[in-house]
Formats: sequence, structure tokens, C-alpha cells
Amino acid sequence: MSTSRLIPVVLIVALVLYGAAWRHLHDERDVFLQENYMDYTLPSRVTGPAAMEFKGIVSDFLFLKVITFLGEKIGKNEQLGVRHFNYLEESVNTITDLDPYFWDAYLFADMLFTWELGEYKAANKLLLKARQYRTNDYRVPYYLGFNYFFFLKDNINGAKYLMEASKLPGSPYYLASLAARLSAYALEHRTGIIFLKEMIRDTENERIKNDFMLRIKTLEIMDRLEQKVSEYQKNYQKQPSSLTELVTAGLIDKIPDDPYGGEFILLENGRVYTTSKMVRQK
Amino acid sequence: MNRRAWSLAVITFKEGIRDRTLYGIGLFALMIMGLSLVVTGFFLRELHKVTVDINISAITFGGLLMIFFLSVNLMSKDLDKRTIYSVLSKPFSRTQYLIGKFLGLVLLSLAAVCMLTLISTLTIWAVKSQYPIYFKEFVWLAVFQAVFAEFLMFIVLNAVVIFFSTVTTSSFLTLLFTISTYIVGQTVEEVAWFIQSQANEIQLTTAVQAVVKITQYIVPNLSVYDLKIRAAHGLPISSSYLLSITGYSLIYSAVLLLFASIIFSRRELT
Repeated sequence: MSTSRLIPVVLIVALVLYGAAWRHLHDERDVFLQENYMDYTLPSRVTGPAAMEFKGIVSDFLFLKVITFLGEKIGKNEQLGVRHFNYLEESVNTITDLDPYFWDAYLFADMLFTWELGEYKAANKLLLKARQYRTNDYRVPYYLGFNYFFFLKDNINGAKYLMEASKLPGSPYYLASLAARLSAYALEHRTGIIFLKEMIRDTENERIKNDFMLRIKTLEIMDRLEQKVSEYQKNYQKQPSSLTELVTAGLIDKIPDDPYGGEFILLENGRVYTTSKMVRQK
Repeated sequence: MNRRAWSLAVITFKEGIRDRTLYGIGLFALMIMGLSLVVTGFFLRELHKVTVDINISAITFGGLLMIFFLSVNLMSKDLDKRTIYSVLSKPFSRTQYLIGKFLGLVLLSLAAVCMLTLISTLTIWAVKSQYPIYFKEFVWLAVFQAVFAEFLMFIVLNAVVIFFSTVTTSSFLTLLFTISTYIVGQTVEEVAWFIQSQANEIQLTTAVQAVVKITQYIVPNLSVYDLKIRAAHGLPISSSYLLSITGYSLIYSAVLLLFASIIFSRRELT
């Protein structure tokens, strides 16, 4: 065979070989990445000077890495643990050192810290950092207030930050009255219901929406039970000793089930609460 | 004198435009900007930040590549290929020659920045009209301020190229010194700040501290031209700050050119 006819043949063989080699490498690389995923981020002392004047785009890149890595874990419903928490905290610290105004990074970490990992202190610490830079953004104190109110059950701090948020431009109209009511009726279930209904409107994540909905449902039942308790007090001039007395008095048919899987109880001060503490029972 | 320097500037500019390197750099920046159209969609809410980050970084990177390769090359070509003899045989002083070259290089940077800015404006506009609700915090003025600041940095770096090509004998050394100056200039502020803030924890010898202090005065502080993060978040900077960095840029370049002309007029051209 002459050289000129040989070249196309060799070329085709080479291309086929290349294709096979590429596939093989790709598969090997997948295994490699699964085993050695670099779930660490260098601290900003190193990343900062190394990024020179490209801090913004480096922070974008690091953030993209974090959301794809943790997003995959969440998508597969994997349980997040201490390792993920450390990784997320390190990364977000670096990212927000590189670009201290990066709200996406703050919010993403806040959501994971609170909803997935239960690290409320870390979430609030991060939001306080955001508050130093995003001074005109009502969402920062808003989420801080929400964390205090919803997760830490600290209505006083919750009210403080919501009040702060309500004074900043663009904040929703209901914030001021909500903050006032939060501090006045520190434990009123109805306040929580209003707050959560407003939160649902701003939430895109279906899972968090469902969580909100479940909590609203529970709060509504407790609110209704408390109304019945005060009705009982009006009729009998004394406080019922337990919720079953409401049933014997004919005010309710039966004690409703707690959507979280606990049991509703009557506290000594006449308030209704649940043994599940609004945490899903397994 | 000015007219002669100007005619040399125009010649340098034309020579630079003819160079193929420019097309490569333009194409590269275009690719990055095209990438921003795709990548932006991966993010959650702050799409305006990501778009502006990518686009201004592309302008900066394109401008830097141009200085490191085209400017250095244009400056050293005359010396390497001995064409400088025919230029200097004309009624030019060596200082005029340097000023002419410098103006030509600055013109080239200006042209490149204008071209890249035009393209990135279109890119940002395209992303903005695609996701208008995520662009509420976006401010055009901040973007253009950041690009202007980058151009001021390019002026300084061009002066650095001129300076080092009068000192060294090869274009490779000029390139190396210019890149080093750029890196040191970008990091010196942060390093100095770091040393200051950690002074109690880390014991540094007085010699090291003195070196950092002296470096701060000698090397241009290029971090002052980095307004990208503010631009990305729609936070325009005060005009007094812009005035101050403009002054810094022009005065630093003038001083550097003065030193360059002193060195160059004493240099034996062999």
C-alpha cells in the first residue's frame, strides 16, 4: 500500500484508539474524583493574595464548586455531617473574605446551616458578617431575626432584628407590625403563623416550603386548642387540668394528632404545646 | 517635540494593530464573555454579580496579555532587530523616542479596552435582558468606573514595560520583570496589611518589615485600581477616589519614564 492511502487508515485507527482511551480515562477519573474529591478550601490568607485582582471571579468559582458538591449530596438525599459542615464553613469564610458582599454565598450557607445541619450559631455568625457589609439590605437582619425566632426560639432577639430589617429600604410591609407583635406576645402561635405564611411566599425550595406548611398546620391546631381552653375557662371559671377535659366537656371531639408525631399537651400556664417540640419524630 | 513623539506614537499604534497577537487576545476575551452567558445561569440569585465579575475580569485579562506580550514585543523589537538605528538617525532625541513609544502603547491599550468594553457591554446587556429580575442591584456607572480604573493600571504597566526595556537587554527579561512588578504590585498592599495585623503574633525581623515598607513605596500599588467587586455589586465609587487614582497613575508613569529616559540616554546601543 502506498503512503498516501495508508495515512487515512492510520488516522482512523488513531482516532478510534483515542476515543477508547478517552472513555477509559473518563471512567477512571470518575472513580478517582469520587474517592479524592477535594472537599477543602484554602483559607483566605492564601487565596486572597493568590487571587490578586481576580477575587470576584475566584469567589464565583469557589462558590460554584461548593454548590455543585453539596448540591449533589443533597440531591442524593445523603445525610450531611460534620465533615460537610467544616467544608461549608471554611469555604464560605474564604468566599466571603474574597467578596464580602456576596449575598448568594451567605444565604446558601445560612440555609444549609439551619435546615440541614442544625448549626444555628454558625449561621448567625455568618449573617452578622454579612450585616457589616450589606448595611442597606433588609434581608440580612430579616434572616437573622428568623433564625432567632424559628430555630432558637428567642423572640426577643428575633424581634430586635426584624425591627432593624423593617427600617431598611425594600422590606416587606408586614415586618414592623410583626416585630412589634413578636416582642409583645412572645409566645403567641398566631404570630408565628403570619410570619411563616409570609416566608413561604419568598421561598422557592419545595422541601423548606413543606416544612413551613407542616409547622403552620401544627401551629394552627395549637392555636385552635388554646381558643378552646379559654372557652372552657369562660364556661367553668377554672382552667382544665388536661386536654382530655376539653373532650369530656364536649368542646372538641378528640385530641388532634400532632403532624410531627408527638402529642399535644396543656402547660400549666394554659398554653398548648407539643411533646415533639415541632421536630419530626422518627 | 510633541509632534515628533506623536508621529512615533501613531506608528507604534499601527504596528501594534497589525500584529496578530491582538486578534488572539480579542478572540480569547470574546470566548470568556460568551462563557459568561452560559455560566451565569448556574448561580442562584446574584447573576448580575457573576456576569460583571466575568466580563470585567476578561477585559483585565485581555489587557494584561496585551501588555505582557504585545507591548513588550513592540518595545524590544526595535532594539533586537537594530531598527532603532534608523529611527534615532532621524531628528529624535532618545527621550522623545521613549515618550512616543509610551504614547503608542497607551493608545493600543485604550483601543483594546474600548473594544473589549463594547463587547462586554453587549454581553451584560444580553444577560440583563434575559434575567431582568436579578439585575435590580446592577449599576452601569460602577462597571464603567471599574473599567476606567483598569485602564489607569494599564498606563502604569506600560510605563513599567518602557522602563524595564531600557534597563535590560532582552525582551524575555523585560517580560519577567513586568510580570513580577504586576504580581508584587497586586499583592503588596495585602501583604503589608497582613504583617501589620499579625505583628503581635508573628515576630518578623526588622529587616523584613523594612523591605516591605520600602517595596510599598517603590512598587506601584496596583490594588487601588481594582474596583471590580464594587462594580459587581453596583456600588459606584466617589469621584475624589477616581481623581486620586488618576493622579497616582499619571505621576507614577511620568516618574518612571523620567528614570527610563535618564538610563536610556546613557546606554550604549550596540
